[in-house]
Amino acid sequence: MNEIVRKHRPDFLILLFMAVLMLVGMVVIYSISPALTERINTFGNTLDQNHFMYRQAVYLIVGLMAFAFTAIMPLGLWRKYQSQLLVAALLVSLVPTLAQSSKLVLCTNGACRWINFGAFTIQPAEALKFAMVIFLAGFLATRVSTDRLNKVNETLVPVGIILAVVAMIVVGLQKDLGTGLAFFGIMVCMLYVAGLKIRYFVLALIGLLIAGALFTITSVHRLERVSTFVHGANDKEGTGYQINQALIAIGSGGITGKGLGQGVQAFGYLPEAANDSIFAVVAESLGFIGIVLILIIFAMLFLRLLRVMDYAGSDYHRILMAGIFGWIFTHTVVNIGAMLGVFPLTGVTLPFLSFGGTSLLFIMAALGLAFQISRYTMHKLPDNQSKKEKPHEDRRGRRRISGSRYAGTSRFERT
Amino acid sequence: MLGWLMFIIGGLFIVRLYNLQITKHAYYEAEGLKEHQAKFVIPAKRGLIYAHDGVNIVPLVLNEPAYLVFADPRYIKNLESTVTSLNRIAGGNMVKDSATLLSDKQHQYVIVAKGLNKHQAELIKKENLPGIGLQAGERRVYPEGTLAGQLLGYVNGDGVGQYGIEQFLNSQITGKAGLLKASATDVHGIPIDSSDKDVQIPVQDGSNIALTIDRSIQSYAEQALKTGLEKAKAKHGSVLIMNPQTGAVLAMASLPSYDPAKFYDLGENDYSVYQNPIVSDLYEPGSVIKTLTMATGLDSGAVKPDSTFDNTGSIRLDDYEIRNVEQDVNGKRNMADILLYSLNTGVVHILQELGGGQINRQARDKLYGYFNNRFLLSQKTGIEQSGEAYTKLFSPDDPQGNNIRYANMTFGQGMNVSMIQVASAFSAVINGGTYYKPHLLDGTLNELGAEQYQPPQVVKSGVVSPTTTDQLKDMIHMARQKTFPGADKQGYIVGGKTGTAQVIDPKTGKYSDSNAIGSYLGFGGDSTPRYVIMVRVVDSQISGFAGAAAAAPIFTDVSNWLIDYLKLQPTQ
Repeated sequence: MNEIVRKHRPDFLILLFMAVLMLVGMVVIYSISPALTERINTFGNTLDQNHFMYRQAVYLIVGLMAFAFTAIMPLGLWRKYQSQLLVAALLVSLVPTLAQSSKLVLCTNGACRWINFGAFTIQPAEALKFAMVIFLAGFLATRVSTDRLNKVNETLVPVGIILAVVAMIVVGLQKDLGTGLAFFGIMVCMLYVAGLKIRYFVLALIGLLIAGALFTITSVHRLERVSTFVHGANDKEGTGYQINQALIAIGSGGITGKGLGQGVQAFGYLPEAANDSIFAVVAESLGFIGIVLILIIFAMLFLRLLRVMDYAGSDYHRILMAGIFGWIFTHTVVNIGAMLGVFPLTGVTLPFLSFGGTSLLFIMAALGLAFQISRYTMHKLPDNQSKKEKPHEDRRGRRRISGSRYAGTSRFERT
Repeated sequence: MLGWLMFIIGGLFIVRLYNLQITKHAYYEAEGLKEHQAKFVIPAKRGLIYAHDGVNIVPLVLNEPAYLVFADPRYIKNLESTVTSLNRIAGGNMVKDSATLLSDKQHQYVIVAKGLNKHQAELIKKENLPGIGLQAGERRVYPEGTLAGQLLGYVNGDGVGQYGIEQFLNSQITGKAGLLKASATDVHGIPIDSSDKDVQIPVQDGSNIALTIDRSIQSYAEQALKTGLEKAKAKHGSVLIMNPQTGAVLAMASLPSYDPAKFYDLGENDYSVYQNPIVSDLYEPGSVIKTLTMATGLDSGAVKPDSTFDNTGSIRLDDYEIRNVEQDVNGKRNMADILLYSLNTGVVHILQELGGGQINRQARDKLYGYFNNRFLLSQKTGIEQSGEAYTKLFSPDDPQGNNIRYANMTFGQGMNVSMIQVASAFSAVINGGTYYKPHLLDGTLNELGAEQYQPPQVVKSGVVSPTTTDQLKDMIHMARQKTFPGADKQGYIVGGKTGTAQVIDPKTGKYSDSNAIGSYLGFGGDSTPRYVIMVRVVDSQISGFAGAAAAAPIFTDVSNWLIDYLKLQPTQ
């Protein structure tokens, strides 16, 4: 690094875009909460009609606390215990499989992914993503600094082993192809940003595709989903049902949408309306204009993240940012792609909008890390970076960030 | 490069969104509507059926809520406990193989029980069984029990009237179902909200109707029939009571009958009990028809009350002999004697007089003219009962409408008619000559329960002259007085004619003496006939002629009771 990086004002735009998306999610969940509770109540429950909104509010508060925690907690500490963190996360991830028969574990459709605490459930795979990002960032940064990144035995083999273990737990045991895909996205992104040679990259990609294919055909559940995707959503009763309902929701939204709470698809037609399918509900309620605006907000958030990555003060920060970006980006793309019928349906949440605890909690924790990193960005693009790649934002935006940095040392010092 | 990737993917998403939300918007909106829109038929309330009781209107048929249990097997959580609960509460109402239906997750709507009462429905609701739903409907209840059951008919499981009034007036009682097309419903088809895309056709409830039946008279007639049949050791019989001045049927009852509330449970009887034999059973009525032959003779001027003829006890037509039952009244006899002694030779004599002294084409034409055109014995009366039967009389042109046929017809053989046809024609000849349509529908009830009275319908006037009526009434009155002296209350004019019709034995194909239908047809009243009663006993097992021995006592019983019930004033 050719510049001494000092702590400066963080990128508040990250917080702003995140807050806007969270708010949109909250409003949409509020609008469909009566529909959802009514359906649950017909089967003998007595939930308040705003039940889903209250829960989401709690999740958001907990998520904001996680955000604050990771934003403040020094990154060095995470790096120091990265291995322990990963091992711990891997062990916790095994709990649902090992303790299947206990009441602590929640299984649906033959997939045991959740630990049940009664009032709430935790999906350990989400924690594993967080630990994986931390660990890989540290691991790869060390390899980069010692110039061993492109040595097969020292980088690719260990990373490959880790990925295999994770894939075995997440995809093999928990039958969660979506989360597996997220891991894949995270790793590819981190390896690429770390500077892995393209030929290894292609090699790893081919290997993963083969592994993925093997995993897919060994499980009827996954095969069905992929076949649904390949054969289109014609199968209206079976697994194509959710995609078909999502398309109806999105398509019937039109240009301006039906208005919040005016949609019909949440009334039991669209499965997982508040969780995995919330994109379709938003598209039905807000229409083309609304959904494109939301996509723009997502894009702006991603641009901020990429910018922080480009201006990162160290390789560790840069690779960590790549992991965070890869994580949220994969989730977003895989979720929206499935709703639009262009990717297979894998059951991942839409970050910040989807109703749900664990996924939201750890994504916000990851974004907290990004927020912390944004305090240590550099004034200029690093030389190697500027040669390789253009910055993702113009100078005007950068100046504002750097302006804050100077503010700290100017004579208009704050008291 | 990651930024470019993002923009490419984002661009693709927007293109896809444009395609879905703008280009194909109409298609998906229609798809959604197709799925969300549910049509709800708002069932019309089936009209209630009332009867009279004196001046009051009393209900015979009402509705009560009945429930249907349906299931969406996909949502059933615990199959075993669901089946147990349903069987415990509605065991008798469960459909066949309900457990199999409930376990079949391929279906989204199966009917598992029918005809539950409100109490059962509430119990099932309390059980809170996932995947189980209740649908409210209606069923018929009969506050008077089996009273008038056969003429009422029943309503089947599909809500369609079967037999009797329920079938004949089905469209009027059913009303018109309304329709609600809710454009937004949840996945179970429950409307979410009403919207401007909803379509509504208002429901038209069925008419509430009042019958001419009088509850007390019907009840008494049923009891009298039952007692009378027991005395005659008979199982099959009917009684019909009409107001001859309007054609209104005051009571009609037959045995065996059935309970419309349990129409599916006929006990030892077969399906024939659904039919009302008074309107659907064609038979050879026998001597009661002599009253109509006499009316023909008097009205056409062929005979006068004081005309006489030489009764020889039998008449030979070609190689066919017509004999009288009574053989010790031979000699010179007048017209009243014909009815009194039920002389077959007498009514054949009238037929001869119609032909100017012999049975010929003219005689047949004249009798046919009265029987067919005036007494309307070849056509339906149009009474509000399903399954009314009729058959054409053999016309004089018909090879079968020969002299022997017509000679037989003068005393009610060789012709097939229903009781309602005979009683309606008889009413016309004793009321001064007006043929009223026999009817059961007295009117409809408006929202306030007030009856919109339907005036009696004159089918034919001038059937016979009033003079003929007076002469005939005297003869019939006298015939009854002499046959059953002291049977009637003093001071009232009651007349009647027995009939014992031979029946063709299905084994031999010939008329047999052992198997005869006994009937009695008469009227009663003060100076004007107030009621006509016709009784028929099909399978009397006691000695004597069935008309006099089995049917007449029932007439007498009902007639005397009616005089009191109708509060008739004695004439002398």
